Amino acid sequence: MKFSVTKEKLLEGLQQVQNVVSTRTTLPILSNVLLQANGNEVHLTTTDLDVGVRGSFEAEVEKEGATTLPARRLFTIVRELPSSEIQFDVDGRNAASIRSGQSFFKILGLPEEEFPPLPKFEDAKVVTIRQKDLRDGLRKTAYAISTDETRYVLNGVLFSFKENKLTLVATDGRRLAMVDLELEFPRSHEADIIVPTKAVTELQRLLMDDGEVKVSVGNGQIAFDLNRTLLVSKLIEGNYPNYRQVIPSETKERVTLERETFLNSLRRVSLLASEKSNSIKLNFSKNNIEITANTPEVGEAKESLAVTYKGREFSIAFNPEFLMAPLRNLTEDEVFLDLIDEMSPGVLKIQTPFLYVLMPMRISS
Amino acid sequence: MDENCTNLWQKLSAALKPQVSADTFKRWFSAVELVDATEGSLTFRVPNNIYQFWIESNHMAALQAAIVTAFGGPREVNFLSPSELADDTAAADATRVEEDKSDSGRGARPTGSALGLNPRNTFESFVVGPNNEIAHAASLAVAQSPAKTYNPLFVYGGVGLGKTHLMQAIGQFVLAKKKNTRVMYLSSELFINEFIDAIQHSNLVKFRKRYRQADLLLIDDIQFLGGKERSQEEFFHTFNTLFDGHKQIVLSSDRPASEISNLEHRLVSRFEWGLTAELQPPDAETRMAILRKKARTMQIKLRDEVLEFLANRIRTNVRRLEGALMRVASFASLSGKELTNEVVEHLLKDILQEEARHSITIEQIQRRVAEHFDVRIADMTSKRRPANIAFPRQVAMYLSRELTKASLNEIGDAFGGRDHGTVLHACKLVKKRMKEQDALRQTISFIDSSLKR
Repeated sequence: MKFSVTKEKLLEGLQQVQNVVSTRTTLPILSNVLLQANGNEVHLTTTDLDVGVRGSFEAEVEKEGATTLPARRLFTIVRELPSSEIQFDVDGRNAASIRSGQSFFKILGLPEEEFPPLPKFEDAKVVTIRQKDLRDGLRKTAYAISTDETRYVLNGVLFSFKENKLTLVATDGRRLAMVDLELEFPRSHEADIIVPTKAVTELQRLLMDDGEVKVSVGNGQIAFDLNRTLLVSKLIEGNYPNYRQVIPSETKERVTLERETFLNSLRRVSLLASEKSNSIKLNFSKNNIEITANTPEVGEAKESLAVTYKGREFSIAFNPEFLMAPLRNLTEDEVFLDLIDEMSPGVLKIQTPFLYVLMPMRISS
Repeated sequence: MDENCTNLWQKLSAALKPQVSADTFKRWFSAVELVDATEGSLTFRVPNNIYQFWIESNHMAALQAAIVTAFGGPREVNFLSPSELADDTAAADATRVEEDKSDSGRGARPTGSALGLNPRNTFESFVVGPNNEIAHAASLAVAQSPAKTYNPLFVYGGVGLGKTHLMQAIGQFVLAKKKNTRVMYLSSELFINEFIDAIQHSNLVKFRKRYRQADLLLIDDIQFLGGKERSQEEFFHTFNTLFDGHKQIVLSSDRPASEISNLEHRLVSRFEWGLTAELQPPDAETRMAILRKKARTMQIKLRDEVLEFLANRIRTNVRRLEGALMRVASFASLSGKELTNEVVEHLLKDILQEEARHSITIEQIQRRVAEHFDVRIADMTSKRRPANIAFPRQVAMYLSRELTKASLNEIGDAFGGRDHGTVLHACKLVKKRMKEQDALRQTISFIDSSLKR
C-alpha cells in the first residue's frame, strides 16, 4: 500500500475515528486503526467491539492495499509532522514508512485480517433524519444520561420511533430530558431502542449542520450512515423505563425566563452552594425571583432577577448543576419554568417540543 | 398481598403521606405493594422499574423516615419489578453472547460461577479433621448467619490446605440460601489491581461503591496487601464501611495477620478482631479420609494399600495429595497394570522427592538458628561455650529434637560430637526458659515456622 496525502486531510480523518479506540484492551488489534487504500480514497476504521466508526480521506493512491496501525501513536506522529505533504508506504509485513519533509518514521502494524469487521446490516429498518435535527435533539438530552452502571438501561439515550415521531429520552432518576422530532416512517419501523452513551458522544461529534443521516436498526445493533462516515454500535438490551410516569400532568405556576441571564445568575450564585447539600434556592415573589445559596461557615450569595410572575409566593430548591445543564445546552433565548409546589418536580420547556423534568431538593428550614 | 402486609402497608402509608406531596404519593406510592416484611427488611412490588429508580433516587429519605415512624426502626428496602425481571433475562442473554469481562453480569442475578466460585468447593466436599475443624466450624457458622457470629473471620494456613475451599464454600452456601445477597469473592491482588485501575481512570467512586455495597466480602490471599500502602488505606475504609454496616467479611492469608510484613497496625488489629482460625497440614487419618472422599467423587477404585502409601508419603499439602491420586488413577486406567507400591513410587518420583526435600535437616536448623542469632555456623559445632554461642546452640538442639526424627545421639554428633546428655539438658533448659520468657517463645516459634515454610 502506498499513498500520499496532505497533513490536514489525514488529521481530519484520524480525528473522526480515533476516539473510539479503547485505551485499555485485552485485544491489541483494537487499539489499531484499519487503513484501506483504494481508488482515490483511504478508508479508516476503528472499533472497540461495542462501537465502531468508519471514515475516509482523499489521497493520491499509488498502490492499493490495507493494513492496521496503532491509532493513538499514528495520530500523535502525524500531528507533529513538519511539512504538509506526507508519503505513506506500507510493506508486506505491515511496517509503515512515513515520510514528511526531512523526517522519517517507521511504525509496525498488524495484518488487516486480524481486524474485526464491522457488523453487516441486512434487511435492517432504515429511517432518514436531518443531521441537524438529530444533533440538536441529542444535545438537548444527552447530558441527563445516567452514569450509574447498576442501572444499565439508563446508560444511554432512548430512541423511540412511534407515530411518525422520534422521541429521544435520557434520565438518571433525578431528572429527565426529552425531545420530540417529527419524522416520517412506515408503521413497521416503530421501535424503542437504547443507544449507549459512547455511541451518542461519538455521534454528536460526527453530525453536521447539513445533510441527512440514515439510521438502520438491525438485530441488537444500530448504524448511523452520515454519507462520508459510518458509526455502528451495539444497543443496550432491556426495556427503558416508562418515562411518561415521571412527567407531571399539570403544573400550577409558569415563569418565563431569559435563558442566558438566568444561567449566568445561577452560575454566579452556585459558587457558594455548599458541596454537601449542593442546592440553590429560588424564592418566587411578585415579578421577582431571588436566587440564593449558602454554605455554613463559608458565606452566602444572593441575586435578584426581574421576571413576569403573578403566582403565589414560595421557595423551591434545586441541584444547581442539574438546573444549569439544560440551560447550557439549549439555544433558544426564552425558556419556561413550570412548577407545582416546593415538593413537586419542576418542568423546563421551550417553544419546540422539549421537556426537562427536575426533582427539587428538600428545603431544610 | 397477605393480610399482615396489607396492615403494615397501611400503617406505613399513613406515616409516609405527610413526608411527601400529595401528587408524589399518588404518582409513586399508590401503585406500590408491600409483598414481604421481615425483621430486617421490606420488599415492595412496583409496576415497573421507573418506580424503583425514581423512588430510590428521590424519595428514599422520606420512605426511610416513614419506616422509622411506623415500625420504630430502619429496615432494608428492596424492590421487585416485573419488567426488571424481564430485563435481567435479556441482559443475561446479552452477556452470554458478548461475554465481555467489563460488564459481565451487570444486572443479572449472580450465580456462583459468575463470581469466580468453583462449584466443587462446598462444605460437603470439605474433609474435616483435627487440623482444620475450628476453621471449618467457624466458616460454617459464618455462612449460616453472616455478620452475626464472627466478623471478620480470618483463616490462615499454608499452601493447599483449604483456605480457598472454605471461602468459596461460604460464598456458595450464602448464595444458595439467599439469592439476592451481594457476594464478592476475589483475591487481594485483584482488589489492588482494580484500585490502581480506578485511580488511573479516576473512577474511584465507582470502585468504592462496588465494594462497599457487598453483603459478603471474601478476600483471598490478603497477605499481598503487605507493602501496598494506598491499597491498604482503601481497604481499611472498605473494611470499616462494611463492618459498620454489619456485613460479613472473610479473609484468608498464608500466615497470621501479625506476621504479614508491612501491614499497617490498624489493619492487623482489625483482622484479629473477629475470629482467627488456623488450618494445619492434615494428619495421617485425615489425609486418608481426603483420599477416600476424592477417589469416590472421581469414581476411581484403588486398593487401600495404595491410598495408604500416598497418605503416608505426601504430608504437607492437600493439593499435592489430590494431584498424586489423580496421577496414580490415570496411570491405572490407561495402562491397566496392577498397582504395586514400587510402581506408585516410580510414578510419583518427583513429587516424593519434593516431599522428602521438605523434611527438615539438622543442618538447616543450625544454619537458620545461626543466622537468627547472628553467630557463625562453625560455632554450632565448636567446643567454645560462651553464653552468646552456647544458648543459640541449645536452641538449635531443641529444634532438632522437635523437628527431626534424629535420636539424641545423632543430634549430639551433629553438634560437634556432644554427648546425648548434653542434648537432653539443652532441650529441658530451652523448654523451661520458653515457659518463663514470652519473647523467647515467640522467637522460637518464628524460627520454627520459617523452617517449615
